[in-house]
Amino acid sequence: MSSKKQQAASSKSLKIGWLYPSLMSTYGDRGNIIVLQRRCEWRGIHVEIVNIDENTSDSELNSVNILFGGGAQDREQEMVMSHLRKKRKQIAKLIDDYLPALLVCGSPQLFGHYYEPSEGKRIDGLGIFDLATKHPGPRNDRLIGNVIAKSQIPELHDTVIVGFENHGGRTYLGKNAKPFANIIKGSGNNGEDGTEGVLYRNAIGSYLHGPLLPKNSAIADWLIKKALRLKYKEEIVLEQLDDTFSERAKQAIAQRLGVQL
Amino acid sequence: MMVNLVIIFFGKIISKFFRFFNLGDGSTWPGHIALGANKNFINQVLKKSKTKVIIVAGTNGKTTTSSLITHVLKENSKSVIQNKSGANLLNGIASTILLHCNNAGKLHADFAIFEIDENVVPLILKEITPDYLVLLNLFRDQLDRYGEINTIAAKWKDALNVIARDASIKQSQKNKKTIFILNADDPQITFIAENSSAKTKYFGCSDVSIRHNNTDHSADSNHCPKCRNKLTYLEKTFSHLGNWRCNKCGFKRPKLDLNNFPVYPLPGIYNKYNTHAAVLTLQATGLSEINIVNSFRSFLPAFGRQEILTYKNKKVQIFLSKNPTSFNQSFQTISDLGAKTLLLVLNDRIPDGRDVSWIWDTDMPRIGNFKHVLISGDRAFDMALRIYYEDYRNLTTYDDLSRAINAGISLIDDNETFFILPTYSAMLETRKILTGKKIL
Repeated sequence: MSSKKQQAASSKSLKIGWLYPSLMSTYGDRGNIIVLQRRCEWRGIHVEIVNIDENTSDSELNSVNILFGGGAQDREQEMVMSHLRKKRKQIAKLIDDYLPALLVCGSPQLFGHYYEPSEGKRIDGLGIFDLATKHPGPRNDRLIGNVIAKSQIPELHDTVIVGFENHGGRTYLGKNAKPFANIIKGSGNNGEDGTEGVLYRNAIGSYLHGPLLPKNSAIADWLIKKALRLKYKEEIVLEQLDDTFSERAKQAIAQRLGVQL
Repeated sequence: MMVNLVIIFFGKIISKFFRFFNLGDGSTWPGHIALGANKNFINQVLKKSKTKVIIVAGTNGKTTTSSLITHVLKENSKSVIQNKSGANLLNGIASTILLHCNNAGKLHADFAIFEIDENVVPLILKEITPDYLVLLNLFRDQLDRYGEINTIAAKWKDALNVIARDASIKQSQKNKKTIFILNADDPQITFIAENSSAKTKYFGCSDVSIRHNNTDHSADSNHCPKCRNKLTYLEKTFSHLGNWRCNKCGFKRPKLDLNNFPVYPLPGIYNKYNTHAAVLTLQATGLSEINIVNSFRSFLPAFGRQEILTYKNKKVQIFLSKNPTSFNQSFQTISDLGAKTLLLVLNDRIPDGRDVSWIWDTDMPRIGNFKHVLISGDRAFDMALRIYYEDYRNLTTYDDLSRAINAGISLIDDNETFFILPTYSAMLETRKILTGKKIL
């Protein structure tokens, strides 16, 4: 990075698009939005948060710099999907064009090929992520608990990620899909292959909530940086913030699970 | 049945043994053994007894509502047995029954009041056909244990249909029919009891000061439980509670049997709901309004629910805060009371729920008015992070809860109150430190 190209973050602005907040907001998903917003504002970056739902125009969706989607109960997930299918092409193009996105819990299932709920019909997904999800039925245990994993994001390779998972569905990555992280403790996508989530271009799909970003501020900053880079076509330096509490919160979980960070 | 007499005899001995040697509270072990020996134990004893059964279920307000009912019944010379706070699974109920049986295997109390955990409602309704079933609300709580709210609601609906059917059969046989006491302001609760043939009484809080707030992130059921369309609220009290209607299918808040009462023993809008639930139940048992009003005047709050204690000559008030809704309500109430010093205690043990994500669905609009925020508990740093992202900096974390409490006490003036907002297991610990004894 040459110093000429480096720019301070202040006086910049970002728009965060939140997918169906009234239908898809369980497990403290809003914490991810709070963290993105504060970490921008503390650095002088102006933030606007817009809801993305059935009333959103194409131009509004195109103006979003970071896309976020949270968890949903099965029923709500079905409702969202019936709306979202109409925007499939546009969303697929945005993600292909490197729009930074964070999709947690139910959202990545919607972005995959399909989701088979424990009861009822298979729900077709947007097919943006090369993955499929199946619910093994109500008699199988949900995968629940604290998770420690290592990030597979190239710029954050082996950064330790701490979160909490709680999902009935088992997700299987396709041949070409890369995981967002590799599991150290916990179940991850399916409890079998050691993968957690998916990483495609600048889009992260993950089962981790807790929520994800408060304890993993490096991921939040990665999304912000990518968004600024895409919008302003320049490398932008983010000022370091005090992350004492997030580090100690991560440490506390690692210690409890007997993992040396 | 002979086997029950043997169970009761040994159960009582076991309980005494536990207590004598201080091996824990002994409040669920006898029930565990009783059900192991005879899975129909609860059902059989209740059938033999004349005791009227009241069941109270819901995410928030079970203990307060049960305490209100128990208090008023006792003030009116009724004998009441109750399961201990926290012993709200099948074992706890079996234990309560066992310990109050006479040696002939019969209960003598006029009333048995059981507060039960959301997840065991269907299980318990299989064993017991209550005389009164009080359903308070369904909020997001401990999703990790229970799965999703819609799933719980569906299970409740099935269970209610079964008892309504049983009740109508039993009416001809034993003249026993369950009366449902329901929160009409909660769309899910209304939906659960819809089409049920049982006798229903609805309470709500429609004429209270309206807090219509679209940014309430603790709201759980914004959509019509029947047709999934977005609900319209003519008035909202908090979260998803209020005077709701669906413009698409026409499903709407039923007509209220009670929306106001002359006396409220506890502050806070959520306690208005609890009070209304208690009043409808008590009226259904035959008590008059004047008797209820008089008894309410001598009511003291249950453990940890706005309870005021004195510690080192200073006032401490505990507000159990176990999910976004109860946290927001506690926070609003203490802000109204002019609180300056606050201790938050966040645990993630089984009774609290292992998942602490819910803290990010809370709102703390007036946190800037606090002089100090102290934080402790198993997940103190998660809570500290939450406060940090509210842009509040005067916070201190403590590994040790008694150090946190003592630090808070030394920070407050003589006439100030020290406010503590703990999760469930943290509340028990806090109370133990403040009173020097266990509560269960």
